Amino acid sequence: MNLKIADLGKKYGDSVVFSRVSLDVAAGEFVAIVGESGVGKSTLLNCMAGLDSWDEGTVHLMGSDLGTLPDDQRALLRRQHVGFVFQAFHVLPHLDVAQNVALPLLLLGRPDDDRVQAMLDAVGLHGLGVRLPQQLSGGQLQRVAIARALVHRPAVLLADEPTGNLDPGTAAKVMDALVAQTREHGASLVLVTHSEAAAARADRVLHLNSHGISG
Amino acid sequence: MASAANAPLATGSASLLMQLLRQLSWRELLHHPWRNAAAVAAVMLGVALAFSVHLINASALSEFSQAVRSVNGQPDLELRAVQGSFDEAVFSRVANHPDVAAASPMLELSSYAVSGSAPRVGLRVLGLDALVVAQLAPALIPVPDAGADRLALFALGSVFLNPAARQSLQDRSFKLQSGLQLLDVSVAGSVSAGGAPLAVMDIGAAQELFGRLGQLSRIDVRLQPGIDRAAFIASLQLPAGITAAEPGDAAQRVSNLSRAYRVNLTVLALVALFTGAFLVFSVLSLSVAKRAQQFALLGVLGLTGRERLLVVLAESGLLGIAGSLAGIALGTGLAALALRLLGGDLGGGYFAGVAPSLQWSTLAALTYGALGTAAALVGGWWPARAAQKLPPAQTLKGLGAAPGAGKGHWLSIILIALSGLLALTPPVFGIPLAAYLSVALLLVGGITALPWLITLLYDRASPWVAHRLLPLLAVERARRVRESAAVAVSGVVASLSLAVALTVMVASFRDSVTHWLDVVLPADLYMRTAPPSGSSSSAGDTVYFTADFVDAIARVTGVSRVSTLRTTALLLDADRPAVALIARDLGDPASTLPMVGRALPVPAGQVGIYVSEAMVDLYGAQPGSQFTRLAPSFSQSFNGLAQANRTPVATDSVASQLPGSSTVFFVAGVWRDYARQFGAITLDKKDFERLSGDQRVNDLAIWLDAGATSEDVEQAVRRTADQLSGAGALIEFASTRQIRSISLKIFDRSFAVTYWLQGVAIAIGLFGVAASFSAQVLARRKEFGLLAHLGLTRRQILTVVAGEGAAWTLIGSVAGLLLGLAVALVLVHVVNPQSFHWTMDLVVPWMRLLGLFAAVVVAGTLTAWLAGRSAAHQDAVLAVKEDW
Repeated sequence: MNLKIADLGKKYGDSVVFSRVSLDVAAGEFVAIVGESGVGKSTLLNCMAGLDSWDEGTVHLMGSDLGTLPDDQRALLRRQHVGFVFQAFHVLPHLDVAQNVALPLLLLGRPDDDRVQAMLDAVGLHGLGVRLPQQLSGGQLQRVAIARALVHRPAVLLADEPTGNLDPGTAAKVMDALVAQTREHGASLVLVTHSEAAAARADRVLHLNSHGISG
Repeated sequence: MASAANAPLATGSASLLMQLLRQLSWRELLHHPWRNAAAVAAVMLGVALAFSVHLINASALSEFSQAVRSVNGQPDLELRAVQGSFDEAVFSRVANHPDVAAASPMLELSSYAVSGSAPRVGLRVLGLDALVVAQLAPALIPVPDAGADRLALFALGSVFLNPAARQSLQDRSFKLQSGLQLLDVSVAGSVSAGGAPLAVMDIGAAQELFGRLGQLSRIDVRLQPGIDRAAFIASLQLPAGITAAEPGDAAQRVSNLSRAYRVNLTVLALVALFTGAFLVFSVLSLSVAKRAQQFALLGVLGLTGRERLLVVLAESGLLGIAGSLAGIALGTGLAALALRLLGGDLGGGYFAGVAPSLQWSTLAALTYGALGTAAALVGGWWPARAAQKLPPAQTLKGLGAAPGAGKGHWLSIILIALSGLLALTPPVFGIPLAAYLSVALLLVGGITALPWLITLLYDRASPWVAHRLLPLLAVERARRVRESAAVAVSGVVASLSLAVALTVMVASFRDSVTHWLDVVLPADLYMRTAPPSGSSSSAGDTVYFTADFVDAIARVTGVSRVSTLRTTALLLDADRPAVALIARDLGDPASTLPMVGRALPVPAGQVGIYVSEAMVDLYGAQPGSQFTRLAPSFSQSFNGLAQANRTPVATDSVASQLPGSSTVFFVAGVWRDYARQFGAITLDKKDFERLSGDQRVNDLAIWLDAGATSEDVEQAVRRTADQLSGAGALIEFASTRQIRSISLKIFDRSFAVTYWLQGVAIAIGLFGVAASFSAQVLARRKEFGLLAHLGLTRRQILTVVAGEGAAWTLIGSVAGLLLGLAVALVLVHVVNPQSFHWTMDLVVPWMRLLGLFAAVVVAGTLTAWLAGRSAAHQDAVLAVKEDW
């Protein structure tokens, strides 16, 4: 399993966000997590990446128990095996498109301009590598984020409402690119979304509420 | 139709502005009271320093002017000796002139009063005619003490003291020094004249007491109504040794001679205000960056760019007003304290002995208050423009503004070129105004060129770091947001350039002074009988060694040889301070004088003189030319002295027969004089004595025999002096080592304030870096959140921030170093010669500068790292969660 979560629970003070969440995600599997606002979908996603803490249970990413790792080790594991796509794109404004996409490769010490160009072509951004983020549309920015998330061939892709800021037409195209590229790379995809259309493409759709997660 | 953004604020908008200040600005102020207090304090310090310097100088000048007026009275004209005194035969011609209503003769001397074992007191002695002085200078009317004989007015040893002299001399009788003789006098009454210690006595008694029979140094004249002064002066056909001056010239002269010094002090104080503007800039930049989302949201809701600009400008104005008010209060307090503790002299020696009361000026307070507020507004302008130009939608998305086009370097080039031209411009009213403007334009031009410099440098560095993440992040950010980078390091550039310029200037000056001391102090031991005095005193004509005394000293055991120095004041121009005429054994001037350039051969039949640099600037005494102004003055000036030395007395009627009148003085060289900024002329002792008959000596340089000690020789000299005149106690000794040490100690103390200013400037520059980086880090918290998601460790994020700090501070420091060296060139080669009429050799203390450079780079990097720590502490999850 690329990702294995067992009896995970998270509280803010006395308030329970979620509890007894168990989930296995296999290599190449696409899992969508849906639920009402505030049930902790994004928090769960951050726990999967070791970016947030939890109160009970365990998270294993690529066989490593994240709960036992210090922050720096989690960062190194994330660098190697995880890709992120956010609702708000989050690109670095002072780097051009190609430099943004190349970031994970540079972090791993494996600069590869051909790979960056290939990813830009793959997400439909051919020839836009030298542009700055301020010169792109929202849909294009999200494609940059997808290319960046997959450029280093991570085992797990975590996507948090990647189409939340896009119009339906653009959202569909972005989802096409996301799913196609994830499948092509054989990565596991965990998608948190409110979009029924996006969730419908998943291999499994899980509902998260304060009592746990159910299929 | 004018756009809404450009429309002036209507009444409704003004009330909106007040509301915004209450809701937005006041809360920000309450949230960061210490940060805003620092900005207010910086403005306050700048205003306080500048205002207190102004108050102290204005008070001293006012007091000095009043003292001059009370002593000089209100004549229409003053006829003064160019040097020392003139023959009193001139008086009868003036007094009997039909245009003259009243004429008052005076003999004016500087001496020392000795009372018991107390230290000698410098005393101005005025011999006058009590019967006519009342018409022209009522403050000099002698008033006998109760019970004193009224005829004491004319008694030989009776003096009337002014309040300052009464305070210094408590005894009813004391001695006055003349040469090495001590003359007994008794206090018979008082005069009301203010100012420094003054003793008034009858003119006949003064002439007899000091051996100046038949001599006057001044005649005060009141003309008949309607008489033209110029025509009257022309009709007098005054001999060259006498000059006519308008009343008030003396006060004006002191004002003029101290002006460059006062302006330099004020400029130094204004540097503090300049750094205050930077602090306001830094604080408000940080504040605007923190409130970018607020401003963006208000922009979306309809607040125009102009209104955002006005809000931030109003904030800077309020900081400036608060700082200025506090600065005026503090400046007044500082000035009052300084006047009480130090008198009116701020180290230049122009107002030594003046004890002024504080002269507060509302106009000056308003001016300096306005300067402080203006400085704050200038500091607030850029953050205000940033708030105005902020793109609301982009800011809310966290993308900020698109990078600038990097244009505008032509403006920088024009400013720097203009600065170069201004540096070549002569002074205005004796003040290097153009040079100061040149320095300001150099700094502004250099700072505005920063974005261009950053682009130039980092565009070339970019390919080298393309595949290394951390350097890539630092370099790309620096070049893409070069305007922000330039703003962030502008404080470092300004402060480092000032620090470098002051360091180079002080090092150059100190090195030149050290070399100058090496040349002017060749002997082992120096002796004199007149204590050091302010520049306005000329006790050297009253207090001196005789030729016989010098001969006796030369024969003292342990003395290998002696060399003499005779210094006297020469008034070549009534509008300028007197120059010093120095007669000494010259030998080879190239080795005995600190020459600037080579010594020229003196043409046969001419007398070689060597002038200080000020003589070239002020009197046009170019080397290789004949200095014609000296010959007539020389011939007339020393007639009284010749008489004192039992040589025939010269009068104006026989002026042309005097030896000096036909003498041609040839400027054979220029020397550097750091002791007298208003000019000095040196000529060989033999020439001087031949032309003047004056054999008096003011200073003796003594070379010791091998094995002789200074202490033994000092004792032997005192014994000899006691045997000859009983005046051993009136002699002062100093070794070369002591004089050097004291001189350099005074130098270092005078310039200690520059080190303090450098420290403050650099601290404020670093505060600017910290504020800018804090602002950047706050604006980029999403960016750091993303980097954490991508797998950057906390240490790596800190490294990115510190790397950017290093990259930015490095380029700022390089620019600061280069600009500082350029500013130093202007200070050394333009400001100093134009202000003080002396030059110095440029010395660049590279090791100290590199140390300063490295310290600023390290401190800037560390400051950025500390600012970045808060970013690393930010919750990465929360940072990326803040969506629009």
